[in-house]
Amino acid sequence: MSKLVHLLGFVTLNVFLLPFLCKSFSPETPTDRRVLVLLDDLAIQSSHSLFFKSLQSRGFDLDFKLAYDPKISLQRYGQYLYDALILFSPTIEGFGGSIDQAAILDFVDSGHDLIIGADANASDLIREIATECGVDFDEDSNALVIDHTSYAVSDTEGDHTLIASDDFINSNVILGSKKIEAPVLFQGIGHTINPTSSLVLKVLSASPSAYSANPKSKLSSPPSLTGSAISLVSIVQARNNARVLISGSLSIFSNRFFRSGVQKAGSAIKHEKSGNEQFLTELSKWVFHERGHLKAVNVRHHKVGEADEPAVYRINDDLEYSIDIYEWSGTSWEPYVADDVQLQFYMMSPYVLKTLSTDQKGHYFTSFKVPDVYGVFQFKVEYNRLGYTSLSLSKQIPVRPFRHNEYERFIPAAYPYYGAAFSMMAGFFVFTAIYLYNK
Amino acid sequence: MATRNLGGFLVLVLAFTICEAASVFQPISDSHLSAALELFAPVSGSFGSLEETYEALRTFEILGIDKKPDGSSTTCHSVEETVGSSSSTPKDLLYALRVNRILKCKVNEENFKGIVSMLKAAVNDASSLLDFYYSVGSLVLIKEQSSDADLLLDDADGIFHSIKALSQSDGRWRYSSNNPESSTYAAGLALEALAGVVSLASSEIDQSAIGTLKSDILKLFDSIEKYDDGAFYFDEKVVGARQHHGPLSTTSSVVRGLTAFASVTSGNLNLPGDKILGLAKFFLGIGIPGDAKDFFNQIDSLACLENNRISVPLILSLPATVLSLTKKDQLKVKVNTVLGSDAPPLTVKLVRASVSGSKDVSIENLDLKFDKESASHFLDVLPKTVDVGKYLFVFEVVFHDSEHEKVYATGGRTQVPIFVTGVIKIDNTEIAILDSDLGSIETQKKLAFTSFIQSFIGQETQKKLDLAGHNVVSLSANHLQKLRLSFQLTTPLGQVFKPHQAFLKLRHETKVEHIFVVGNSGKFEIVLDFLGLVEKLYYLSGSYDIQLTVGDSVMENSFLKAIGLIDLDLPEAPEKAARPPLQPIDPYSKYGPKAEISHIFRAPEKLPPKELSLTFLGLTVVPFIGFLVGLLRLGVNLKNFPSSTIPATFAFLFHLGIAAVLLLYVLFWVKLDLFTTLKALGLLGTFLLFVGHRILSHLASASAKLKSA
Repeated sequence: MSKLVHLLGFVTLNVFLLPFLCKSFSPETPTDRRVLVLLDDLAIQSSHSLFFKSLQSRGFDLDFKLAYDPKISLQRYGQYLYDALILFSPTIEGFGGSIDQAAILDFVDSGHDLIIGADANASDLIREIATECGVDFDEDSNALVIDHTSYAVSDTEGDHTLIASDDFINSNVILGSKKIEAPVLFQGIGHTINPTSSLVLKVLSASPSAYSANPKSKLSSPPSLTGSAISLVSIVQARNNARVLISGSLSIFSNRFFRSGVQKAGSAIKHEKSGNEQFLTELSKWVFHERGHLKAVNVRHHKVGEADEPAVYRINDDLEYSIDIYEWSGTSWEPYVADDVQLQFYMMSPYVLKTLSTDQKGHYFTSFKVPDVYGVFQFKVEYNRLGYTSLSLSKQIPVRPFRHNEYERFIPAAYPYYGAAFSMMAGFFVFTAIYLYNK
Repeated sequence: MATRNLGGFLVLVLAFTICEAASVFQPISDSHLSAALELFAPVSGSFGSLEETYEALRTFEILGIDKKPDGSSTTCHSVEETVGSSSSTPKDLLYALRVNRILKCKVNEENFKGIVSMLKAAVNDASSLLDFYYSVGSLVLIKEQSSDADLLLDDADGIFHSIKALSQSDGRWRYSSNNPESSTYAAGLALEALAGVVSLASSEIDQSAIGTLKSDILKLFDSIEKYDDGAFYFDEKVVGARQHHGPLSTTSSVVRGLTAFASVTSGNLNLPGDKILGLAKFFLGIGIPGDAKDFFNQIDSLACLENNRISVPLILSLPATVLSLTKKDQLKVKVNTVLGSDAPPLTVKLVRASVSGSKDVSIENLDLKFDKESASHFLDVLPKTVDVGKYLFVFEVVFHDSEHEKVYATGGRTQVPIFVTGVIKIDNTEIAILDSDLGSIETQKKLAFTSFIQSFIGQETQKKLDLAGHNVVSLSANHLQKLRLSFQLTTPLGQVFKPHQAFLKLRHETKVEHIFVVGNSGKFEIVLDFLGLVEKLYYLSGSYDIQLTVGDSVMENSFLKAIGLIDLDLPEAPEKAARPPLQPIDPYSKYGPKAEISHIFRAPEKLPPKELSLTFLGLTVVPFIGFLVGLLRLGVNLKNFPSSTIPATFAFLFHLGIAAVLLLYVLFWVKLDLFTTLKALGLLGTFLLFVGHRILSHLASASAKLKSA
């Protein structure tokens, strides 16, 4: 009887989970769907509602949970329950349930996306997770980013920790093609990116006059973070294309900053609305793979004039190579248009590296002559561009030398030898007849 | 759990306030209006359920937004339907009546009579708090909306006691008698229901019962929680699994109940005014919630506080806490109720103003003037004693009519942090290279630099200087010398100014940066002794950019300026010296396309020109021609060819065979492979052996005959 109950439970569970599994993150539709939002306090849900609403209106299924809720978990029976995680719980010292630092890193390692909103008084746990992502927050827990020359003019905030920054990364794929006109309001802690990590990018940098210090105490020693080395918002794209957004400010996501007007110190232009909404909406599109996610299909190569893919090429063959590249637009795969996709014909090192021609509809092609070196080669497309997922395709193909009968024959230079041999033979024939029948 | 919740909420509140203990709360303003219109946007003329409609309409009513939904007729229709239907629950009725109170739909009086009796029965039978709350609430609303219905409760005392029976000793309430869990949220509902009972009672409620209820309220206020900035709020002690109410909805429930109860009872509740003010501060500190429910709770509670009988909170707010000395900003203070309406006649007194962190008092006991037009209190000019800096202003509200002190809560003295900003004068700037023995100055660039910085500081000439960007100093030094930079900062009042940020930055060509804090001992001076710094500079010789950053939150002319270049000649790095730190790679260069590579094919072997080969081909045929010519000259003949048929046939076949072998060789050269050739050669060879033997033996015998003859 109890077995039957277990079986029943299992079946109901499956039925319950099935719709989720069908909707899960997949290479075919790479957009995240189910997002776990961990909050310090449920009031953040209301105070940051514009940001959450922009996600929900794009079809994300947000699951708001308190970060110390003992029932939260990221996975069940080895299956991840969510495609992405938003940590808006800067002060949390330890998560509830089965979530801890390792679980979050495993979540990212398995290709899922993460948004971290830290803030003043960020806990060690949040700092450690950020460090694992290649981002080091200022170790002084009382430090805030201060900027006395590019702060946001405000009647009520006089300590210049409310920064208006417009030093964005120059990338259409990350921030959208529409230029962000208004500066972004930022109030929080600064971080630097680890110089040894090649995967972290500063999206929003502080101005050269910024520094990170406690505004209430006098400075005796130089602050550890200064100038444009301070990153306010950074992103990481891991090697498995998981994307992470790390912000030193939680209020950058808040309704108050979204709605607030902004005027940068020293500038006469007063923007009606800060750039926060546009900046974070576009950035969240990138983080949740609605932009900049590439896939390559229809990789083909063959000899010129043929259609079938050979198992082996001979040296000096002329071949054609083609590939189709698509970008995920959030709803469908659109042809990816660029002019810098490159193909390598590779054995230990590239023998041929060629930029592919394109028909502007996502089809890339080229033709070249196989080098006169035989061995096992690879067709390699290594496409790493700022903000795009990296494409790394390689296809092995052997290249053989000429066969004995494939060399050139009847070489003109050898005509004297041929002539000598045949005249000798003719002479022999004549000689035999003459020798035998001469009288 | 509750404390953690508190900690989390603190973060939120901090996000909305400056990180100072004393915060400025702003009353409800225009930004709330636009946010309300955005949040309560009707979908196709309707706000959804009656509850949501009520929340939207009530918010609009409080904020004075005269925007009835287009579909008010459809809303009225559903109100009438709910009121007219006998199957409506008290909860539906309550919200329908609340909507009706705002929309004033024409509901048939007969319908009211029908539901009154039903509600009365429900009140008498009710066992749970929510039943009481909904039915009593509905009855109160009907009393307002209908004149002739018989609404008075006969057994008001009994009902009062049965609701009171659900209360706990700590001032909280249970939802029902068989549910032991007590809740602060329920306390608010109970107070509202009890207020309703009192107003509906046909005879006076027992005063002792009301007295105990008042002490219950005081007990409830013992559990009030507090933020550092003076805001008070209520929160549930136990987070129930099913019905969790956050601090906002809990507090607003208590405020609603409390104000409703206060308005129906006579006598004083003895609640301290600062707690009421603290509650108002709590609601204002939230800012603009992004959630419709939270928004309604905030606005509705503030409206309850606005007109409550206990004490009306007055909010002292400053439109600007950053005052510029150069612009001669006025100090303005506004005193409003929470919803932004005018306060009774009063005077705002500036009790004290002092630089934060010090005891020196800059201003004492000043009365602010009142400007009727802008309804604000102001100080014309800041007194001469106020220099730039961070100040703590302490204000006090003094009512003209002493009676008002009982009605209004102002929270005593209000501390407000004020930033007074101004232009800082920079003097005596000089930069010099000193030899290591003091005094002998090798290079001193004084004038140029002074005028340079000063011209930069002047707002008008700033642009001019940017154009003249080449106006920079250029210095050179070796490791035995020192760099000295000094300048003086003075405030508008002639005091020495100490900025928070005074950095000298040296940046090497390889982007390695070094930052030095410019020390201040009356005069800002930094001496860089390169001998002691070589290790810190990683022994990197070459050109360094010098950047000076001076900034402070009260300094209006904070600047970051490249002063010039210094060419350092440092000794070679010893083996063990630390390597300069890794610089982050420029992301743009990391990702570009790579240079194309094309394979260089092996050059084909050098061959003689075709003409030469053909010439030599011709030459190789020459011996054959010579051979033929020689034969002709010798007069060869074929007279020995056998004449008889059989030997002639064999001779013919023999030579044909030889020709075939030769042809086979040609074919072997042109296309045949070795195996085919050998096979054919074998056959031809056998044939040749046979015919050759026959013809040669014939020739031999013929010649033997000839010899013997």
